[in-house]
Amino acid sequence: MSNEPIAHFEAASTLAVVVSSNEPLLFLSEDQKVIAASTSFCRAFEIDPATIPGRRLSELGNGEWAMPKLASLLKATASGSAQIEAYEIDLKRPNQKTRNLVVNARTLDDGDKDHIRLLLAVTDVTVARAEARLKDDLVREKAILMQEVQHRVANSLQIIASVLMQSARRVQSEEARGHLQNAHHRVMSIAAVQKQLSTSKGGNVELRTYFTQLCESLGASMIADPDRLSIAVTVDDSAVEADISISLGLIVTELVINALKHAFADQPTGKIMIDYCSTGSDWTLSVTDNGTGMPTGDDAPKAGLGTGIVEALARNLQGEIQLSDADPGTAVTISYRGASDLQAILPSAA
Amino acid sequence: MYNGKAVVLVVEDSKIIRMGAVDLVVAASFEAVEALDADEAIRILETRSDIDLVFTDVQMPGTMDGIKLSHYIRDRWPPVKLIVASGTAILEESSLPEGSRFFAKPYSDHAIADAMARMLSNT
Repeated sequence: MSNEPIAHFEAASTLAVVVSSNEPLLFLSEDQKVIAASTSFCRAFEIDPATIPGRRLSELGNGEWAMPKLASLLKATASGSAQIEAYEIDLKRPNQKTRNLVVNARTLDDGDKDHIRLLLAVTDVTVARAEARLKDDLVREKAILMQEVQHRVANSLQIIASVLMQSARRVQSEEARGHLQNAHHRVMSIAAVQKQLSTSKGGNVELRTYFTQLCESLGASMIADPDRLSIAVTVDDSAVEADISISLGLIVTELVINALKHAFADQPTGKIMIDYCSTGSDWTLSVTDNGTGMPTGDDAPKAGLGTGIVEALARNLQGEIQLSDADPGTAVTISYRGASDLQAILPSAA
Repeated sequence: MYNGKAVVLVVEDSKIIRMGAVDLVVAASFEAVEALDADEAIRILETRSDIDLVFTDVQMPGTMDGIKLSHYIRDRWPPVKLIVASGTAILEESSLPEGSRFFAKPYSDHAIADAMARMLSNT
């Protein structure tokens, strides 16, 4: 053991580097005496620089640095058996709030193997930790609010759906019942998007899941004998924004309702096929039935609300509607072909 | 095994939704009994022994939500069938007693009536 002043061993440049370190830094001897402390350390932890030389780490300030864990970790670092990397400790001082510190320590590698010295960097992360906590709280709060909103929307839609179904059961007129049931289908079609959105992360709606769910629910409520009539959904991996999915869903709803009502009146069996595929920004949606086909001429039915909804929504999506004979049955195709088709004149459906 | 119609207890705090649920139960040819919350539902289950199925909402005022209620019922009245509906779509069916069904709101009346008919025909 040497009683020589420790500063004797140190190069002036080393001490200068330590003192001017921007990050609070302590330069310690093997027995944890402070050789030098950075100005930033003294400022951050309110220690008078004049009181530092020759003191032990445990004697700094009012002794708040006398932390057995830190001392033991520094000892292990000095002996080379451990390293302190981003070790978290709390600095407790009387009448002051606890500070959260992250400490890093290592031995100084200057080629002098006879004198082990330690560099202890101390970062005060109290503010950063508090901010992170606040951010976590906000994120959690946002999730709770989102859930609350979704819950309210779902409940409101349930109220609307319940009222429509109760009215539908009570009215005497078959026609009025049909209209109320259709209104119910439209509400449920939008609700299905809501359900999808609440379970998806990105805010996009996967069309295959959505259309499948939609047609299952339409079929469950409109098809009395599933062995007689069926709905098949073929959709690629497309996912679209919520607004677009609502429009597409309503179009499918209207066309399926229409087909179920009119296409199979005199047929023993029938099938409705929904297809959707997209390439780049182009997409095609088709609803095809193998029913009796659309009456033409004088027999053609007057366009109802359903047709109006389909036309308006297709126009909104800048899609082109095509009505064709599927022989047997009818195919309604709505397609969007890139920006070049923007000028295309939309056919006014019969 | 039933003396006539199966009895369904509807537990829902929203008046209009409850009316709709009762309506769908009656339209499906079951008898409907109503409760505003879990506490009332338990009182009803304690006083009458003919409840075959409980159709409950999740978020309700009172001491228990619909999930707790469903577990309570499964513990105390194991034969009673359970259907749970909630405005929160992401609810694990695994958080419910085994054999119970979950539906996200807004539910389709047909789907609920269908589930009730299936569950009640299995007894």
